[in-house]
Amino acid sequence: MIPLFATVRVETPRARIGFWAPLFLLWLLLAPAAVVLSPLLIVMCLAWRVDPARAAGALAGVLCGLSGVRVEVESPGTRVQVRIV
Amino acid sequence: MNEERRRVLQMLADGKITAEEAERLLSAMEGGLAEAPAALAAAPKKARYLRVLVDADDPHQGPVKVNVRVPMQLLRAGMRLGALIPGPAREQVNAAMRENGVPFDINQIKPENLEEIVDQLNELTVDVDQERAKVRVFCE
Repeated sequence: MIPLFATVRVETPRARIGFWAPLFLLWLLLAPAAVVLSPLLIVMCLAWRVDPARAAGALAGVLCGLSGVRVEVESPGTRVQVRIV
Repeated sequence: MNEERRRVLQMLADGKITAEEAERLLSAMEGGLAEAPAALAAAPKKARYLRVLVDADDPHQGPVKVNVRVPMQLLRAGMRLGALIPGPAREQVNAAMRENGVPFDINQIKPENLEEIVDQLNELTVDVDQERAKVRVFCE
């Protein structure tokens, strides 16, 4: 399933910030652009002899695979955590 | 066909176990061994995530910890995307890898081999232990 939210948490000695980034809004914004650009992308795929359907499937796979990614970095006094759900 | 036998065959069909493991389980069942259900339960589970843990002691910043979890699904998709690299770009990738001492032919990565490559990652464990840094890569 395509990721819908990203959670970001930043902790420093001075502040603690945490928020949810609604990725579904990003997808909604990008969807019309993808539709507009799709003929160009298909032409590029054909020029490079790449099956457009396979390319689209692979890209969709990457997008869907992002769900579950978690990155945490911790150094003295600072902690950053990003999760894609 | 009894239920356990069906489960083993289903796991084999799903690619969760290898043919050798299925054979071992089936022969254990046929032999009427008591441990067959236990062996079935102990069949290897597919790893869902690739984990990278870094524990470093930077002389300037102090101790730094990095914890990354990458879904195997993303690795699979990335490899499928890599298999779509156009011919001229593949040659450039091969040349760059050769220059860096990695004689690897990216043309050998074929869609039919992707599942096998990712499955082999299940048993991957890399431990690097240095004076100021520890790196651990494994699947879970």
